[in-house]
Amino acid sequence: MESIGFLIDGFALAIQPVNVIYAAIGVIIGTAVGVLPGIGPALTVALLLPVTFKLDPGGSIIMFAGIYYGGMYGGSTTAILLNTPGESASVVTALEGNRMARSGRGGPALATAAIGSFVAALIATGGLAFLAPVLVKVAVKFGPWDYFGLMLIAFVTVSATFGSSPLRGLTSLAFGLWLGLMGLDQLSGQARLTFGVPELLDGVEVTTLAVGLFAIGEALLVASRHLYKPEKPIPVKGSIWMTREDWGRSWRPWLRGTLLGFPIGALPAGGAEIPTFLSYNIERKLSRKPEEFGSGAIEGVAGPEAANNASAAGTLVPLLTLGLPTSATAAVMLAGFQQYNIQPGPLLFTQHADLVWGLVASLFIANVMLLVLNLPLVGLWVRLLAIPLPWLYAGILVFASMGTIAANPSVVELLLLTGFGAVGFLMRRYDYPVAPAVVGLILGPLADSALRRSLQMSLGDPLILVHHPSSAIMIAIAAIALIAPFIFKGLSRFRQDED
Amino acid sequence: MQLKTIQTANRPAAVVAVVLFAIAAVTWWDASHMTARATYGMSASAASYLVAVFFVALGLAHLVNAFKPADIEAEAADWGAIGWIGVALAGLIGAIWLGGGFVLGSTLLFAFTTRAFGRRALLVDLCFGAVLAVLVFFLFNKLLTLALPMGPLERLF
Amino acid sequence: MRKFFGRGLAAVAVAGLLAASTGPVAAKDLELTITAPAGAGGGWDSAARSLQEVMMATGEAKSVQVVNVPGAGGTVGLAQFIGSAKGNPDQLFVAGITLVGASISNKSPVDLTQITPIARLTGDPLVIVVPKDSPIQTIDDLLKTIKEDVAKTIWVGGSAGGADHILAALVTKAAGADPSKINYVAYSGGGESLAAMLGGQATAGVSGYGEWEGQIKSGDLRALAISYPEPIEGIEAQPLKAQGLDIELVNWRGVFAAPELNGEDLEALKTAVANTLKSPQWQEVLKTRGWTDYYAPSDEFKTFIGSETERVRGILTSIGLAN
Repeated sequence: MESIGFLIDGFALAIQPVNVIYAAIGVIIGTAVGVLPGIGPALTVALLLPVTFKLDPGGSIIMFAGIYYGGMYGGSTTAILLNTPGESASVVTALEGNRMARSGRGGPALATAAIGSFVAALIATGGLAFLAPVLVKVAVKFGPWDYFGLMLIAFVTVSATFGSSPLRGLTSLAFGLWLGLMGLDQLSGQARLTFGVPELLDGVEVTTLAVGLFAIGEALLVASRHLYKPEKPIPVKGSIWMTREDWGRSWRPWLRGTLLGFPIGALPAGGAEIPTFLSYNIERKLSRKPEEFGSGAIEGVAGPEAANNASAAGTLVPLLTLGLPTSATAAVMLAGFQQYNIQPGPLLFTQHADLVWGLVASLFIANVMLLVLNLPLVGLWVRLLAIPLPWLYAGILVFASMGTIAANPSVVELLLLTGFGAVGFLMRRYDYPVAPAVVGLILGPLADSALRRSLQMSLGDPLILVHHPSSAIMIAIAAIALIAPFIFKGLSRFRQDED
Repeated sequence: MQLKTIQTANRPAAVVAVVLFAIAAVTWWDASHMTARATYGMSASAASYLVAVFFVALGLAHLVNAFKPADIEAEAADWGAIGWIGVALAGLIGAIWLGGGFVLGSTLLFAFTTRAFGRRALLVDLCFGAVLAVLVFFLFNKLLTLALPMGPLERLF
Repeated sequence: MRKFFGRGLAAVAVAGLLAASTGPVAAKDLELTITAPAGAGGGWDSAARSLQEVMMATGEAKSVQVVNVPGAGGTVGLAQFIGSAKGNPDQLFVAGITLVGASISNKSPVDLTQITPIARLTGDPLVIVVPKDSPIQTIDDLLKTIKEDVAKTIWVGGSAGGADHILAALVTKAAGADPSKINYVAYSGGGESLAAMLGGQATAGVSGYGEWEGQIKSGDLRALAISYPEPIEGIEAQPLKAQGLDIELVNWRGVFAAPELNGEDLEALKTAVANTLKSPQWQEVLKTRGWTDYYAPSDEFKTFIGSETERVRGILTSIGLAN
């Protein structure tokens, strides 16, 4: 195969000592900045982009690959240990990961995240190298109706994150949907729920909601309990490494997460969040110990974290082949390419083959480096929990608010962050799950515009949603997933009656 | 409070129900005032109406729950601590609003948050916070050329 | 001393990669702040940062800082600029045609006529394309298709009320159809609408030429026309004007100064910007970024802003986005 030859050339470029050093520096600073609470990969990459400008294009892109994967990886560390995901794709990781960390199993949680990310990124980078041209042809065929079908599936699976009460879960979801309405409607330019505040016209940033609900809400909750039942996080209980059982329970979720994450990440409007929800739901269904979900199931970390990283590699498919950035991180990377007058697109693979394959090769190298760097660091990260609580949470608040200020230095944004923090606290206090709100904010606007684009293209005929076989199948899957549990419940009750 | 006079077994659920109805009303009102109409397909207001209806349904369900015994018990909370974090965040927002800059705001945020967690060494924590904020400022503003809000302190550097 | 400490820290932290870049000795003492009313990475942000780079490199300014104030198509940044910079000689603002449209369709109380035009910088052509398998071969074919059934002619492009939408409306009008009946499907940017074009879900698409250049050159999209008034070297597609349609629309960007700025301070800014734009470094930036030069000095730019605002308002009214 031609690609293999190119890939070998790429490795020859990436393996040069100076380039390996660039990759190592990229991985280290990417992890270091990404690990700060409230600062996700997009901001990490945006912050560190100027650092790479001083290098030649090859070196810069290689360092960039390191920063990208490093930032992705660093984001999950704080999600697991401190329940403060810096971006929406780590929200699901925080669900089970933080439960594990609280019961002293932070080490295995971090390890399964690290190894899962490694496995996923390895496979997905391979997919990027060999499947990109094929995938992209399928991806552009994905019409608005297909996106609508995908959103329906995602909506149905959200129920996995609802916790003890469906009513409270739905209420949380509705809150997210409501926030999703805010701002200018993309299709018609109509302002919704902006109350004349111009800062609201761009809508609510998902990061602001995630950081507010999780980081600030969490800090408020811990503070409110401090006096009555002081909660001392347990840094380590038992081994900080994964046991044989942990391995046995992790490897399948890693692979399944990868299979979900890569193709959805490659869709022009797929994103990293949807595969993490889907993966969480699937792992919960397939787990041999579903009762552990909600109190720290390792599958719930392994699957979504693999999905998250695989989708990060998937994002590079439309970016490199179409010049189409599908996530905030990818948009910053595009700016990075353009800095060198390199326009990603159909001609990139022919005009700048050396660069592309150098990038792919350095993604492999960065990935290996991350594993080498981070597995030994697991012990160190876990020690973060040994910082006295007042300083730990004060630090979290400083970094979380800084992330918001850095993205948009406006008082309105800070007020929103504080407001979401207060809501997050109340939701936790009265046992409302917070993750569905984030999900609602992400999916709501996507579903809304996908449906309306479909109807606009069909001049108002709703049958367009079932005319296309692909969307018809997805809508059917969503319907079955919604109804099946009730039928099964009914059947088992029926059988019980017979007994 | 009027709610107390009615026999409610689960007061939080009743409060949530009222909030949900209020949001539904606001959303409906907002949707009914939209002017842009889609030439083909659905207008932007459709989603708003849908969400408003969803909220009404959830509000009704909460209202039903309000008359049932609560299935969860809200634990005792240290409202003083919450207040201190509120002061901390207000310190940050105030500093940014009034042009006090990032370092001042973050220092206040840090110091008052530690107070919320029961530390009384305000002066020490102010120093700690200031050191952290200055370090962050150097790292992000100087090294990574990120525009953080500037105040009198930042202009010294 | 403190400055030195900062630099020292920088050097240590990334092993000297970030060796401080002090420009040539400053010929002028201007210490400027450029507001880009958009997030990092977009067109206005890169224009502001390129200006920053060249002004410092040529020594036209001693220091330049770029501040991003994103929000509502730039109107948030504009409102803030008007409120805080009044009469301030150290403040610049970068904006373009999208902000003209956003001010009108958001019913914003602020618009570009309230600040002081310094110079028009660049003007990028928009391009009208069809999928490669489309039976539409020329712009006349497209006009005929529109005339036959305006509803079934599905356009894709950037956000509602933006330059892409305006151009689609102008073409619809020129075809003799009612522009308020246009079936324009808005996407968040050139990327997503590109996927819709390649997937064959639309009849025609509009975008900045640069964004779709790769697909046009590779033959995945057929370019029918560009919206620039004259032919551009290196672009095969001909202007609408040359093809018999009296339509021109340029995605221009310009630089502005604070409101109520007069006298010496204003002259100093005008000179510094004019010198910057005449420098070989700026020409180099235009080339590497693929921007088309569309320079106009302050006075000409001022008249242009006035006429452009009226024209955009007229089109937005005809498609029902303004009244």
